[in-house]
Amino acid sequence: MPMKATIPGTLTIAVVAALWIQPVGAQSTLERAKVLRAAADALGMVRWTDIGAGATRLPAIDVVNTMEFQGSGTSYSSGRAFKTQYRVALGYNPAAMRVEMTRTGPAGGAPQRSIQTVRETSAWDESEIGGGLVPGKGTATAAMAAVKDRLLQLWTLPYGVVKAALAAGEKTTVSTENAATVIIFPLSGQLAGITVKATLDSKSFVTKVETRPDNPALADLATETEYSNYADHGEILTDIKSPGRIVRRQGGRPILDIQVKMWEANNPYLVFPVPPNVKTAAAANSR
Amino acid sequence: MRLPGHRRIIAAAAALCLLPAAILAQQVSQTRRTSNVPPKPSGATPRTPDGHPDLSGVWNGLGDNLLGVPNQIANNGLVIESESSTHDLHSRLRIATFPRNTNRPLNNAEAERAASLLRRVGSNRPIYKPEYWEMVKNLDANSNEEDPSNNCMPAGIPRAGIPSYIGQTPTYFIFIYPGQGGLIATQTMYRMIPIDGRKHTPLQELDGTYTGEAIAHWEGDTLVVDAWGFTSNTWFDQVGGYFHSENMHVIERFHRNGNTLTWTATVNDPDVLLEPWTTTPRVALLNPRPDAMLPESLPCSERDLAHIVTKEHH
Repeated sequence: MPMKATIPGTLTIAVVAALWIQPVGAQSTLERAKVLRAAADALGMVRWTDIGAGATRLPAIDVVNTMEFQGSGTSYSSGRAFKTQYRVALGYNPAAMRVEMTRTGPAGGAPQRSIQTVRETSAWDESEIGGGLVPGKGTATAAMAAVKDRLLQLWTLPYGVVKAALAAGEKTTVSTENAATVIIFPLSGQLAGITVKATLDSKSFVTKVETRPDNPALADLATETEYSNYADHGEILTDIKSPGRIVRRQGGRPILDIQVKMWEANNPYLVFPVPPNVKTAAAANSR
Repeated sequence: MRLPGHRRIIAAAAALCLLPAAILAQQVSQTRRTSNVPPKPSGATPRTPDGHPDLSGVWNGLGDNLLGVPNQIANNGLVIESESSTHDLHSRLRIATFPRNTNRPLNNAEAERAASLLRRVGSNRPIYKPEYWEMVKNLDANSNEEDPSNNCMPAGIPRAGIPSYIGQTPTYFIFIYPGQGGLIATQTMYRMIPIDGRKHTPLQELDGTYTGEAIAHWEGDTLVVDAWGFTSNTWFDQVGGYFHSENMHVIERFHRNGNTLTWTATVNDPDVLLEPWTTTPRVALLNPRPDAMLPESLPCSERDLAHIVTKEHH
């Protein structure tokens, strides 16, 4: 029976999550800050400049807000593999993401296009980019049940991991596993109850991100994403490093394997206004 | 190598353009600030004989450096309070802040790339209709070729921001915006703005201009400047590729408090925007010197654009 089949899996998740959040010994604030700064520096997130402000010596800040990347590869659904064109627009202020996928099944046929968007507490599907914002120009369909899953994709990107680990403050722990540095921290807000474990390589790049929900009912939010081939993939060079390959698994099954062709990190113009009908649905959802 | 040499030329040209402001800045302040928090007001707000706040004087404006008040980053709404605290004025979100980990000066490429990111990291963005999203993104990405203020053209309104000089009479204001080097190399602009109760000319009777047709009135102690009749050949913020139509309508608000002047502009352009957009407030300081003068703007002569070989930009 399906119920019996899920129990060992949920138990495993609970045990692993419990083990992850065990204290790893005395955690020095300095050590945590050093590791997180190194991870942020590796990605090129921490920057300063004196251009245009000659009378200042300002500190460095996190300069990552909006990004756009695209690539191609394979996505999986119900055990079937699809050739996939993948394009993502994202932002961290506010937290938002628009994933556009064009998929062709193994038997060929007409490509299927989907646009899945999330912003803070609202999620929706667009018939075209920005659908539902202007009357007569596309539609937006509320998808409130997908908020957590879509936000998780945003916060498990390397930049999201560093931002969320910094935001978690003293709840973030740093340790060493198999000679690799590991960062563990809880997510908050809509994703409260999910613990993230990120593994860094010797250059402090985030190479693996695992998420574990405390609540067995949210087992679908147990994910594992691997990032590799870091470089500046933007047409406009920014010195921000982004992964060249993304491999994601959910519940142990592969769901995405993408080779990145372009990653624009220059805070491009990307906006995520919530369509009026989705605002209404979100308000109803929060009651 | 060609690229570093080219960058040196750009840097030297920018430095020459900024020289008058830099010299004045040195006269006023020798201290390098580690914060870009908007200046706190001090002193009383002077008033004119008719009882309105007196806005006249030399303000630091877009030139940034006249009083050592850096507002280029604040222009995009990020306030760096200390070595450990920054927040976004629009969203109130805290931004991770770190001490610099080296005293090595950035080379020109590093500094340009960082500045480009810093100027765009704020959250306060106009919301265009979806059919223009790709266009705005591409205009910004290709701003070396597309920015209409390049080649020494006027920045336009409200991109010019706070005027560096305000002259005030009972019936009109004079605003002066010296030509800029550095971030945007533009032509000097001036505006003569009546405050005599007249109404706008109907929009369809106006030929679009860079500063539009402006009329002003007081709302309490706030000066409201209402302008329309613009050419579409400007962008309405310093960076971002924010184009507009000839139907753009701009409302600027100026409020003096002691020795500070706070400015916002609201852009309404139903042809291209989904909703009106208001800039993050900017704050300028009054030059306290009774003999303060605006330095003459150097003639603007664009010589760099033809040599730019990448899409990196301000």
